[in-house]
Formats: sequence, C-alpha cells, structure tokens
Amino acid sequence: MGLEYRAVGWNRQKKLYDLTLAAAVAVYLAAFVGVGLALKPNATAETLLIRAFGTAAFALLHVILSIGPLCRLSPRFLPLLYNRRHLGVTMFFLGLAHAALSIVQFHLFGDVNPLVSVFTSNAHYGDVADFPFQPLGLAALVVLFLMAATSHDFWLHNLTAPTWKALHMGVYVAYGLLVMHVALGALQAERSPLYVVLVGAGLAWVLGLHLYAAGREAARDRAGVGPAAGEEVGDGFVDVCAVDEIPDARARVVCAAGERVAIYRYGGRLAAVSSVCQHQNGPLGEGRVIDGCITCPWHGYQYVPETGESPPPFTERVPTFPVRVRDGRVQLDPRPRPAGRPAGSCSVKGAP
Amino acid sequence: MLVTLVSWLVGLAAAYLAVGLVFAVAFVTRGAGRVDPVAAHGTWGFRLAILPGCAALWPLLARRWARGERAPVERTPHRDAAGPAEGAP
Repeated sequence: MGLEYRAVGWNRQKKLYDLTLAAAVAVYLAAFVGVGLALKPNATAETLLIRAFGTAAFALLHVILSIGPLCRLSPRFLPLLYNRRHLGVTMFFLGLAHAALSIVQFHLFGDVNPLVSVFTSNAHYGDVADFPFQPLGLAALVVLFLMAATSHDFWLHNLTAPTWKALHMGVYVAYGLLVMHVALGALQAERSPLYVVLVGAGLAWVLGLHLYAAGREAARDRAGVGPAAGEEVGDGFVDVCAVDEIPDARARVVCAAGERVAIYRYGGRLAAVSSVCQHQNGPLGEGRVIDGCITCPWHGYQYVPETGESPPPFTERVPTFPVRVRDGRVQLDPRPRPAGRPAGSCSVKGAP
Repeated sequence: MLVTLVSWLVGLAAAYLAVGLVFAVAFVTRGAGRVDPVAAHGTWGFRLAILPGCAALWPLLARRWARGERAPVERTPHRDAAGPAEGAP
C-alpha cells in the first residue's frame, strides 16, 4: 500500500476535490442560515445551525451513496469516486457538529448526563408515532465515526480490503437510521409537505439508482462470458470470446472461480488477472493498460499483466490465470494461480 | 430504571474509549510499526489520523501487537481458490 503513510497523500486532484467540497459546504451552510434568517427572523442562530449542519450531512450522504452506482453505470463519474473518503469524513464532521449543538441546546443543562438524556428524555420506545428519534441519529453517528476513523489506507491494509469494505457497508445502516431519525424528528415538526417530498425523493433516488445499477451489472456479467461461456475446450480451458472482441489496452471481464476475471489485450498480447484490485477491491477489468501496466480505474493502482504484481517498489499483487488463443478465440483456464506465481501471457495470434 | 440502564451503558462505552485512547497513544507511537512495517516511517499527521480508529478498535490491535502478528492477507474467492501466495509465511 504505497511506500509510507501520510495523513493525506495530497496531489493536485485531491486538492481540487477538497477545495470544491469545502466551498460547496461553506456556501450551503451560509445560504441555509441566510435564507433561514430571512424567512424566520425569530429563529435562533443555534437552531438554524443545527438544521444547517444536519441537512448538509444528510444531503451529502445522498451524494456519497449515489457515487458507487453512478460509476458502475458510467466511467464519467469516476473522478467523484477518487476521493470519496473525504466526502465521508466531511459528512461525519457535519453530523458531529449537528449532534454536538443539539446536545448542547437540548440536553446540557438538565440534571442527567447529556448523553444519557439523549436516550431517556423521550422514553416512548414502544410507540411508533412518538418513537425517540435522537438515539437513532446518535446510533448513525457512531457508525459514521467508525467509518471516518478507519478511512485511512492503514486500515485498508490492516483490516484487508474485504473486511474494510464490509465495515464501510455500514453506511447503509447509517442511512436507514438517519431516514428514520429525520422522519420521526424534523418531519413531525414541519407542516409543509415539501420536506416529506424531499426526503421521499432522496430515498427513492438512492434505492432506484442502486437497483438499476445492480441490474445493469448483472446483465453485463451474463453478457460478458459470451455465447460459448463456460464451454470446456480441453486442458481445463473454457472458451471466452473472439480475440477481436477485446479492444487494445482494455479488458474483457468474465466470471470464473466465483469472481470476475479481467482478460487484458495489450500490444498484441493477452493476459488474465483477478479483476479485484488489492487496494480497495476496485474493478481492475474496467481499467486500462497505461505504461504497460493494468491500471485500476478507482485510484490508479497498477499491476504488470503477466505477473499480476505491482511494479517495484510497490508490493501489491493479485492472482493470475493462464490464457491462450485457438482459432482466433480467447480461452481461459479458470483455475487461478496464487498471487506472485505468474500465469504468463500469450500472443493474440495464438503463439505462446 | 431506564436512566440507570442507560447510565451504566454510557459509562461502559466511556470506559472502553478511555482505555482505547490510552492504548491508541502507545500504539501510534510504538506499536503501529511492529504490526505494519510501512507505518514505522509514517508521518505524525498519519499517526494522528489513525488515532481515533485505534481507540475504537483497540482490542483487535492489542491482540495483534501482543502476538507479534502482521496484517493478514485479504481473502477473495480467487485467492482462496489459488491457495497461499508465493512467499507467504
């Protein structure tokens, strides 16, 4: 995972990303407070700030949840994915500000510990309509804290990408908790149907986008294996597709051994690697060959096609698969070779 | 009853995080480099960035540090099917 750890591996793209994010958040907060003061002159600054931070965090969560499926639908959205973790950390701090101000305003000056008061000031846990909404928000904040606190690459390496990703799937738990937090809290206090429509539209957008992207991806997986998919053609190899169906410097993605395999064509040769990047398990098969290396579309991690290993001094490596060409058709041995044991490559003309 | 139960749970969480914070300070200064050699040369900004996570996940890191274990290799269907990586312990 790189050669040394820094707090942030700054580069021009990340700086631009973060500056844009900071400016957007600042403009949103200022506009919310400004418009709020104009529409409700009697509202206190604390109330406006609580709502500004809360709505900013909730809106940003919708953006974050949209990036993954949008990237699966079109590579044009990949620049948003590049630094998505900073969006998550920013959202956590917005939520933290919302929670801290709320606790100060509503729980700090009682006889009970403020954190205890969050859970006990409304004890109607058996009543759906009057269910305490604040503990739901606090629970979401705990999940978001765990995600923000483990967002550094150190955690990716030490938890391993599959565990890290499973932990970060907690964002969906947080989203569910926050939808209920908003529905049982702010929506109960507001008379205008606009807020109900906005929250409902956000929920429909997130659910619809995920279902649509998943459907498209499943269809692509089915189509990717070609008409003769899985048909064994001898020596344990299976037919995949015609050589000409793979563009130069790009991959054909097929499913084998329970996961996607990327068969890359580059400079008149073919090589196959597991399509799972070791960094964040990004889709290697959706990348390109740049400077002779398979390059992950998510964060630019690179692998030599023949060996599945990152070029020195980097140490990432992925399993490889033997591939060959017979009568103009690409054939794959679906038995993966261990990472670090190269399966080699072959010429597109069929020679070794 | 509810206040007593919640007070007890909040106290438990606070104790967990207090222990975690003490552990995290020791871990980011000394332990991180033992568990992950790349972290041995990490900047102070990096150590500050991972401190909250160390405080939250301290039992996992404490066990790994105490046993002298390194970061595990990730598991995917392909890695499981292929067997141990070349050069793996």
